Amino acid sequence: MEGRFPNRTLPYLLIFPSIAIVAIFLILPSIQALYLSFFEVSPFGNKFLFVGLNNFREILTSEEYQFSLRLSAIFAIGVVLLSMSASLGMAVLANKPLRGIGFYRTLLLWPYAFSPAVAGIVWALLFEPSSGLMTYLIRLTTHQSPNWMMAPNYALFVTILAAAWKMLGFNIVFFLAGLQGIPDEIVEAAQVDGASPRQSFWRVVFPILSPMTFFLFIMNSLYAFFEVFGLIDVMTQGGPGRGTEVLIYKLYRDGFVSIRWGYASAQSIVLFVLVGTLTLLQFRYVGRRVFYR
Amino acid sequence: MTKGIAAIRAGDPPHILQVYEVGTETMIDSGAIIPVTEVVKPGEINWDDYFQPIMNYYTVGGKLNSMPFNSSTAILYYNKDVFKKAGLDPEKAPVTYKDFEEMGKKIVSSGAARGAITFGWPAWMLEQAFAFHNQLYANNENGRKGRATEVLFNSPFGVEVVSGWKKWADEKLLMYGGREYAPNKAFLSGEVAMLLQSTSQMSTIEQAASFAVGTGFLPRIEGKPQGKSVIGGASLWVLKGKGRSPQELDAMAKFFKYIGQPEQSAKWHEDTGYFPATHAAEKLLRDQGWFKKHPNFETAFKQIQVGPDTPATRGVLLGSFVQIRDITDTALEKAFSGKLSPQAALDEGARETNKVLAEYGRLQK
Repeated sequence: MEGRFPNRTLPYLLIFPSIAIVAIFLILPSIQALYLSFFEVSPFGNKFLFVGLNNFREILTSEEYQFSLRLSAIFAIGVVLLSMSASLGMAVLANKPLRGIGFYRTLLLWPYAFSPAVAGIVWALLFEPSSGLMTYLIRLTTHQSPNWMMAPNYALFVTILAAAWKMLGFNIVFFLAGLQGIPDEIVEAAQVDGASPRQSFWRVVFPILSPMTFFLFIMNSLYAFFEVFGLIDVMTQGGPGRGTEVLIYKLYRDGFVSIRWGYASAQSIVLFVLVGTLTLLQFRYVGRRVFYR
Repeated sequence: MTKGIAAIRAGDPPHILQVYEVGTETMIDSGAIIPVTEVVKPGEINWDDYFQPIMNYYTVGGKLNSMPFNSSTAILYYNKDVFKKAGLDPEKAPVTYKDFEEMGKKIVSSGAARGAITFGWPAWMLEQAFAFHNQLYANNENGRKGRATEVLFNSPFGVEVVSGWKKWADEKLLMYGGREYAPNKAFLSGEVAMLLQSTSQMSTIEQAASFAVGTGFLPRIEGKPQGKSVIGGASLWVLKGKGRSPQELDAMAKFFKYIGQPEQSAKWHEDTGYFPATHAAEKLLRDQGWFKKHPNFETAFKQIQVGPDTPATRGVLLGSFVQIRDITDTALEKAFSGKLSPQAALDEGARETNKVLAEYGRLQK
């Protein structure tokens, strides 16, 4: 039986608040960004110079932007791979019946409770070039004293590590929930059929987890593209020499440090299209292989 | 500054906005300000008593635009205990690039500290190096005769300075510590013996250091002309908003007068290390024997008075200076990390900067 509203206006009235919020805080600013992207604007917003598609042309031809794009891809792939594989492993371990497992599980979720900025501070302190704990350990073991403020690749590595760590808690929760949703009989049946633990994991458990894995894959990629600003800002500010300047940080720098509203707006449009396409592609090609029970 | 801009665009800005020195040109061109000389009635504040280098920085086109407040400059801080351990005279600071290199090598090879020198604010250090050797950083007399359209930091002089820094880095003397105050940590923990940093950190560093702190001038290249170090920090701007009543203007003038009082200015200096703004405040400090007890606080005074007063030593004015600092920082980091040679990095930085200046000029017409 389908419920029906007594009149036609009530349903619209009921969804009005959420529509209003979306319109005011998401759609309007997006339209404004689209509008701004055709202009060069003075810092105080008192002068607008119509430049047509110039901002977009600059984005597509600028070497700096392409570099940042490649960097973002490396960053995202690194974060997604590292974070998801590590958390899958940990979730499998946390799924084992152990004494005090509730305590361990709580600890595992902690990283997610940190704000990106706090996570950034923790990792920046660990790898601080003169007095950081990790720097000290590296110095003890390799007799080298890496300074990420002078080595872009090392800086990128450390920021990927930090960003991946930050997502661990989130991923573990979902993997754990997925693992606990798998009935014991299925795994037992596989064991009875003579499957080794490795086989039963990759052939039985992992396919059942695939919707969860796919969901996390999307969430993690979005995170790696959009939500790492705080972390980067606290740790490297995109440096050294733009070595960790991913797209979202570049947008911030051009918009809010350099105060080039038009150019930054154009970037946000490009980024929007880029991520939209990426998500769509993922749904089309990766999504097909997902096995929904 | 970004927040101030947002407030101005929203139409209801605060009366007074504190903006760092690099915002000066942008603020003047904004059309959103009232020059401080129009807020303060003639004779209400004795401008002649203010330190000339500070006045010179904020005076553009013969007009003082903003109220000088926290003015600083960059100097050398060094760890006297480490100098002693390395067999150096702890009372003698290095002067030239050669001194820095020789003493630095001694410090590192003796194991007294792991690094010889560190600094933050790399672009500012480059600006300082230019002013300290009386070299112009941008055309049109550092942007003081007309709007600057081209930077000169990729000149042979600029390349010489950056090559000097790069050499320190290659010899493991320089431990570059990022763009802001992070190098303080390396210095305070005793890991690095010398630090180039703003005088605004004087109080913080003296209090936090567990060793005797010495100070000196910025490094000099032998045979190059003598200039003086340039003013940094921030000043206070009066914003027009929708118009200010005479009472409001009067209240602001009173406030400016208050912060310029010798007692206030002297206290501000003692608590931070920023310059006291006036000669009267300096005299008060001398009468109290402040500099005898805290000789490090006097170093910066000497350093902004050694050279001649020229456009090069008055400090450079650039539109979109914040963005240009960022471009310059990036260029210097590329040089430090060996990604580009000093010449190539500075050329790339100058090219990008000139593009930014052109865009700024287009928008001001």
